This record gives sequence, structure tokens and C-alpha cells, in this order.
Amino acid sequence: MADRYPGYDVLSKRWTESWNETTRQVIDRRLSVPRQARFFSAAEWRTLSAVCDRIMPQPKDRPPVPLPAYVDQKIAAGLLDGYRYAQMPPQGEAWQRGLAALDRAAQDAHGGRFHVLPPDQQDGLLRRMQQGELTGEAWGGMPCKLFFERRVIPDITQAYYTHPVAWNEIGFGGPASPRGYVRMGLDRRDPWEAAEANTGERAHARRKNNRVG
Amino acid sequence: MSADPFAAPPAANGRAPDVFKRGGWVPMRQYGEDEAVDFAVVGTGAGGGPLICGLAEGGFSVVGFDAGPYFRPLEDFASDEREQDKLYWTDERVVDGANPITMGGKNSGKAVGGSTVHFAMVSLRFRPEWFKSRSALGYGADWPLNWREMWQYYTKAEKALSISGPLSYPWGPKRPRYPYRAHELNGAAELLARGAEAMGLKWTPTQLATVSAPHRKSPPCVYRGFCRFGCSTNAKQSQLVTFIPRALQAGAEIRDLAMVGRIEIGPDGRATGVHYHREGRWRFQKARNVAVAGYAIETPRLLLASATDKFPDGLANSSGLVGKNLMTQSNQAVFGTMAQEVRWNKGPPSLSITEHWNYDDGKDFAGGYCWMAQGPLPVEWVTIQTSSRGLWGQALRDEMEKYNHQVGLKMVGEMLPDECNRVTLADQKDQYGLRVARVTYSWGDNDKALIQHALGQMQTSLEAVGATNIFRQEDDTNHLAGTARMGDDPATSVVNADCRSWDIPNLWVCDGSVFPTTGGVNPSLTITGIAMRTADRIRILAARGEL
Amino acid sequence: MTRDTTALAISGAALLGLAALAPTWGRPTSRAPAVPARPATPAATIDPGAAVRAARRMNRAAGLIAASVLADSAIEHYRGSFHNKAMVTPLVVATLSLAVSAHGNADKRPVAHRARDGVYAAAAVTGLVGTCFHIFNISKKPGGFSWQNLFYSAPIGAPTALTLSGAMGFLAERVRDTAPGLAPTIAGVSAGRAVAAATGVGLLGTVAEAGLLHFRGAYHDPFMFLPVTIPPLTAALIGNAALGEMRHRRPMTRFWLRFTAALGFAGAGFHTIGVARNMGGWRNWRQNLLNGPPIPAPPSFTGLALAGLAALGLMEDHPDG
Repeated sequence: MADRYPGYDVLSKRWTESWNETTRQVIDRRLSVPRQARFFSAAEWRTLSAVCDRIMPQPKDRPPVPLPAYVDQKIAAGLLDGYRYAQMPPQGEAWQRGLAALDRAAQDAHGGRFHVLPPDQQDGLLRRMQQGELTGEAWGGMPCKLFFERRVIPDITQAYYTHPVAWNEIGFGGPASPRGYVRMGLDRRDPWEAAEANTGERAHARRKNNRVG
Repeated sequence: MSADPFAAPPAANGRAPDVFKRGGWVPMRQYGEDEAVDFAVVGTGAGGGPLICGLAEGGFSVVGFDAGPYFRPLEDFASDEREQDKLYWTDERVVDGANPITMGGKNSGKAVGGSTVHFAMVSLRFRPEWFKSRSALGYGADWPLNWREMWQYYTKAEKALSISGPLSYPWGPKRPRYPYRAHELNGAAELLARGAEAMGLKWTPTQLATVSAPHRKSPPCVYRGFCRFGCSTNAKQSQLVTFIPRALQAGAEIRDLAMVGRIEIGPDGRATGVHYHREGRWRFQKARNVAVAGYAIETPRLLLASATDKFPDGLANSSGLVGKNLMTQSNQAVFGTMAQEVRWNKGPPSLSITEHWNYDDGKDFAGGYCWMAQGPLPVEWVTIQTSSRGLWGQALRDEMEKYNHQVGLKMVGEMLPDECNRVTLADQKDQYGLRVARVTYSWGDNDKALIQHALGQMQTSLEAVGATNIFRQEDDTNHLAGTARMGDDPATSVVNADCRSWDIPNLWVCDGSVFPTTGGVNPSLTITGIAMRTADRIRILAARGEL
Repeated sequence: MTRDTTALAISGAALLGLAALAPTWGRPTSRAPAVPARPATPAATIDPGAAVRAARRMNRAAGLIAASVLADSAIEHYRGSFHNKAMVTPLVVATLSLAVSAHGNADKRPVAHRARDGVYAAAAVTGLVGTCFHIFNISKKPGGFSWQNLFYSAPIGAPTALTLSGAMGFLAERVRDTAPGLAPTIAGVSAGRAVAAATGVGLLGTVAEAGLLHFRGAYHDPFMFLPVTIPPLTAALIGNAALGEMRHRRPMTRFWLRFTAALGFAGAGFHTIGVARNMGGWRNWRQNLLNGPPIPAPPSFTGLALAGLAALGLMEDHPDG
């Protein structure tokens, strides 16, 4: 269901007891992520952006969450995952190699770099990567399946769901400190939680969501 | 807002942060590096914290080292998953084997208070027979500990951590009343209960290390659901807000942002102190005893890295077992969608649990497991969805929109010890110039059989409550153990029942590494109990002149 | 409300009434023969205003309990999202009970008032029906009648506070409605004894409720023992007054009743501190007022103690009754 929580905005709770000062600062930093690449080259950025658009397509009616910027930021800031598969290079090198290899595969299969291909061909290449079917020396021994599972998917999808826009989409309550939750049971909602629009009740849900802040 | 705990160590200049008071300080005794302290303890977590506290309260001079920062929960913890990655050990470990372990928030903390700063607070006792897994149940190895003695230490640990638990527990021998009453069930927990009842299985509200009523300076839980991302109210009874403040009061020193890289051994084959990196340079603290409590990756890493001519295979390793018998626990899950709104993120993730299959031996595999309610926050949830179902694109976004209707059951399952599962040193070096750990892991046949049984049971439970769109998370693990196992024979163990290494009389290991088996429950309460016992044992040994 | 529930409610009300009055039946003759018997008071010297005064005290007691129930059930049923439309009922009935209590307090006429009677009776019945609803709510949860559900589901004893308010008010009307020159009686029994007995039973029920919830709070603060130590003593004393020798003045009983009355307000004070002590304090009132200790609950002890004092007054004014 599109717009399951009409009018709900986690940010409207910014000055309520659900948010504390530390959280406000963190979310502010999140929302003001630098939009220019600090790690990726311009060419890599173009491929990365196209990959982000397929992995996490976003609605056209709002400004998109700048997913390439978050992927870039993680690498530039040196934020590690705590583990690295033995066959995988470190995250920055993995991305560079993977993007280049993807472009190479796009060239070989469809005669153009990844970002110029139509969406269904892009999806096809990504699916083949997911199945482990993209090979070649451009990968330098890095298994494309691992690259997909351990870099492409987590780095892009997690970046999306760290963003308040994604929280609005799924009706997540968002930050909660010092105020947590009172009504814990099934089918119970606190007034500061997202109200779901069931069929025929959109206006009612919107009114409730407008009062969340 | 407090100063950045990563920038410079707050525990300095005769004071340490008062975790209960914004901007407050408590006095901290400090020891000179050149005066040998009685105990240098490496790690301040589930094992290190109670050990430091018990030793200091027993009159020993103690310095506790932690590679991680000294957080002030009230000020430093944001309500944000990504930001709170700062609680985890995100420094790289190399992982391999047939089933490489995902290191990080599922098993490795980096903070004063260790992994208890981010753990889910589930505080369960071992089934008594597990202490004699080999002789009583025919698998794994026997512990050199007596369950009745551990039963008393569990009581002490539960008291120290103000565990909130049910008034009667459906399994195992009788236990004294928990200090606080169990928490209210949320919708996710209620669904576990209904599913269990439909299957004829007992269930219980979970024993949790977070208070359900005020306790000294801790307010009761506000059910914000960010438990595994740091409790910003101090309702959660981590070591950071329990044992560590007591330790400071009893005269211990905590050195935060202090990475111990090497244990020094003297010409007589005894430990003489620890080399540690703090504020940009390497330093050395003299100590009469060294206790390692870095958990099952960092402890063997340190012991192996401290190899000398005298001990070329690493310290305390005459058995060859340091780093071997690494165990994690299976953490697979089954998820589904409900017509009702569940909003599972309200409250601690696991408010109800069933331990049925820890006590029912009608299985054709060894070991046990429990399952508990779940409440993943969005980033964790998308990780589960993508890794379990291979979803991406619009299909993923559509599924994620069902967030408030999701329900899940997650297991904690016993995995058996295998010497091939181990921690070794890779050639890669970390930011301190130390060789990083390589963690090699493969599931055995018994592990897989147990997992499949559990998945089947959990699926049945979800079907019984009317969940639809059911899917399984087939690959997830949590917790660690085994890499410095305790035993009563130096040929087959690293430490004895007192956590004292066989090879080096003043070198101790006091964390989950000492577990010969993992059992089918979360390990933290057992680690805490062992640490409290070890402190008591050290006091007795010291009084006898046997230290 | 179905026929069955109505029948259940009415039978329950009758049983409760009987149980409250039973101790006064077959009461022994004087147990203190050493005290010289007072000569029987001539009917003409009974103070005609005493009954009305006592009745108005009881109206106040009923009103205070009703106020406690109103505020408490409003907060708790709001917390329960009024998920069942019937959850509005106690708010309406308690408001009416409060209103007629104020009316009764201002009314100095020695006649029962039909509207007050009706509201008080409705309150008594509503409380019993509420108890049935709460029992049903608990029984539906996984685990049924477990400690867990007694702690966290609908509080089993809370609706009976509304019954107590109604009962006290109803008794107040009976006391008021005394023919001039006669000692007030209720169903043939001395009114003072009846009210004293109801007070004792009411106190014990409130003790059980407070005790249960303080147990849930693990008695984390030693003051939490006060409502389970003081009021039981008071209940024993007022119960003894209900059953025993009519002629004494009872200074100790009076003292403990007053102390219990004060304790009720002190309890509200403690609960206010408790709310402030939760995370976020009063700024987080939208959570802490609901999750924290219920501020309006303890004053029900005060209401009951006031009824007990009215009972003592009745017994002292009409020592032959």
C-alpha cells in the first residue's frame, strides 16, 4: 500500500520528549550528509548512483534520499563493519573493483556502461551478480555474489533505512528517548506513533498523524 | 552535552564519569604504572566487570583496561541504530570457514562495560546437566564446575543485576525470587505465548537485566526498544552501571581507550604486566597478576600475540587449545506478517521466551535451544529481509512497509565445540599495529540438525497464531565462547575451575572463552556468575598464600 | 449488557451487601459487663441533626472515593484506548456519583433523595459489572490468572472502588432517611455498625489492590509497605467496632482512621514523587502519568476512612443502636 501512513513525519517529533539533544544532532548530521563524493571518482559515482536507483528505487514525488552519498561517506569516514570475508578486499577497494567490473559486464552484455542501460537490463545484470554469474578478471578474484550480498545490498539498503524518510514510509516510531512507549499490546497505538490508514480511513489517519508532533 | 568519549579518555585525573549524573564525576583512585598492582584485568565486560569489582571489594589493587570508550549513557546514546554502531567492535576481523561469523553487534562490544552495553539483557541460568554435558548428556565436554555452586552464583549475579523475572519459572530446579517482577508483554511477546500455548509448550516472561520498577538511580524501563543500541535511561543493568561503579567505589581504576596489545612475561615464566596503547603511545603497567577478559576473540588473540621464546605458541597454550573450540550459538529465526498491528519495536526485543527444548531430551540431536520474541529496528530488519529472502528493489520496499505488522521468533541454540573452529592471527595489522584475529567457523551436522528442528518448531508456532507470509532466516549467529576452555586436566584445557591458567600461575582468563560448551541460553549471566566466583576463589587462594 | 451479565451483577451486589452486613447480625450482647450500663436514652433526647450530619459525612466519603475512581479510571481506560466502548461507563457514573455526593453534602434535609439513591445504586452495580469485565479481560490473556496478568491486565479490584462509593452513598441516604427521634438503621441493623463493617471490608479490598501493585513494584521503596500495614490495622479496629461493644468511645479507632485518611493523601504525594522519578519526569508526563504510580488511587483510602469516621460518629451518637 503506498502512503500507508499519510501525513506521518518522524521529524515532527523533533522537539517532543521522544527526541533528546544527542539524537537531534545525530539526525541533523544524517540529513546534511555531503552530496559530493569524497572517495569515489566521478565515473564510479555515476555507476554507483545507477545501482542505488535499482537496488532502492525511490518515489519521484519527493527529493530522493542521497544513497550514493551515504555509501561514499561510510568509506571516506573509515566506518568498518567489524569483519571482512577472507575473499573480500576492504570495503573501499571492494566497491571500486565491483563497480568497475559491473561496468565491464554491462559493456560486454549490452554495449554500454551500466548507468546508460535501460532499467530492465540493469536489473538483469544485478540479478546475475546476485546469483554469482558475473565473472572475469575485472573482479580480481572477488566473488561477485559476496560483493552483492556483503557490500551492495547492506551498504545501500541500510543507508536508506537510516533515513527519516524511510521511517515515515514504514511507520516506524523513530527516536524514543526519554519518552518510550506506553501501549505495548496488539493493535494499540500511542498518540505519538504513526497511524495506519486502513481502507476508507485515510483522512482520519492523516488527522492523527498531524497531531503526532 | 558531554565531551566526546572517543576524543580523550574521560577516566583520568583522579575521576571517572558518573554514569548516573549528566556531567557528573565520581572519584577514581589511580595507580602508577611503575608500582605493580595486584591485578591488571583486560576487559571490563560481562566477565571483566564483576571480576574487577569483586577483587577491589576484596581489598586488591586493580586496574581494569578497556579498548573501548567510557560512555555516559544519559548523554552519549542517541536513539539511532547507525550512530550506535559505536558500541560495537567494528575493527576488522577476518572471517572464513564454511559458515563465516558476522562479527559486530551480534557478538562483540567495545566499551567500558563490554558487550553488556549493547546486549539484549536476556539473563538465563544454565540447565544443571549442562555442567556435565559429556557424562550426563553424552556430548561436548564436562565443566569442572558444580551446578549447585553455580546455582548460588547465579543468585548473586541476579541480585547484583537486579534481574526482573517471573515469580515461578517453568523449568529447572527451584531458584530464589528474582529481585524485580517481570515486565509487561508487548504484542510480539504475546504472540510467542499464544503460539507456545497452542503447541502445548510452556512459556514465560523473560528474565531481563532491566528494571521494572525504580532501583536506586535507575528509573524503570520506558520501553523505547533501543536496548541493543544502548540504554539511554540506565534502566538496563549493564556492567557499566552496576559492577563498574561499585568497583570504582572500592578503589579500582578503569583505563578506557586502552588497548592491551601484549602481556609481558618475566624470566621466571610469570606475567609481569601489560603493554597497552593509550593516548597515542604504548605504555606498560606492572602487575602481579594479569586476568584476560576480552571475550572469545580478543582473549585468544592477546594470548597468541603475547608469544615469547619461552612460549612460542602463545601464552597458556601447552594444551594447544588457545583459540580452538570457538563456539557461537545459532540465532536463526522465523518471521511472518499479522493482520493486527504488532509494532514489535516497543520494549525490549525479547519479553517472552520458551526453553522447552532445553529440557526436553526427546530429540535426535545433542544440545538444546530456546526461542524468544523479537523486535528488530528498521536497519536490522532490512538486513534480515535482504539476507533471508534475497529481496531488493521495489519488492523490498513493499515488504518493508509491513513493518508494523511483523512478528518473529528467534532461537538461541547450542553449537558443539570443534577444534577446527578457531581464532588465529592473520597477517593483516590493525590501527594499533597488532595482528588482527582470523575467525574460522563451520557448522557441524549436529548444529544443522538442531537448527532445522528449531526452525520447524518456530514456524509451527507462528502458523498457530495465524501469521502469513512466513519466511525463515537461515543464517544468523550470536554470542561467542570456548577459546580458552576450562577443565580439570592441563592436557585438555587452558584454565582450571578457578579460571587460572595451568601454565602461568598468575595469568587468568575470566570471560566466555572459558566455556567448554555453550548450552542453549544466552551466556551473559553464566559469565557474570563465573567471574563472581573467580573473585571469591582468588580471595580464598590469596588468604592461603596460594596466589 | 446481556441479561446474564445483569443478573450476575445484581446477584453480586446483593451478595456483597449481605456480606458487608453479616457481621452485624446476631451480634452478641454487651461483652463488657464491668462497665455499668447507661440508662436507655429517651427517644426525645436523640439529636435530630446527628443523622443528617452523619449522612453528609458519608456523602463526602462517597464523593471522595468517586473522585478517585473518576480520575483513576479515566487515566487507565485512556491508557486502554477505550477499546471497548463500555469503558466510558465508569467515568460517567463516577462523575454522577461525585455530583450527587456534592449535592448530598449541601443538602441538610433529613430525607433520602431519589436521584441520589438512583445514582449511588447505579454506581454500586457499575463497579460489580466492571469487576466482571476485568476478570474477563484477565482470563483472555495467555497464562490466564497468572501473576503476570494480575500485574499488567485490567486491575481486578479497581472497579469495586466504584461499588464502595455507591454503597457508602446508598447507606448515607438510608442514614439520612431516619424518622425523627429514631436511631438510624439499615435493613434493621444499626447504621453505624453497617457502615463500619462496609468500611472494614472496603479497606481490606483496597489493601489487597495496593499490595498487589506494590508487589509488582517489588516494594522498591520501604514506604510502599505503609498501605499494607496501616489500613489492615484500621480495618481490624473498625471491624471490631462494627461487631462489638457499642457504648465505648473509641479513641484508638478514631486515631487510626484519621491516620489512614492522611495516609491516603500522603500516598498521592508519594505517587507524585514516583511519577517525577521516572525517566523524563514531569516533562514526560504523557508517558509517566500513565506508566507511573497512579496518583488518584491512594485517596480512596481517605474516602473509606471518612466513612469509618462517620460510622464511629453514628455509633457514638446512638449507643443503643
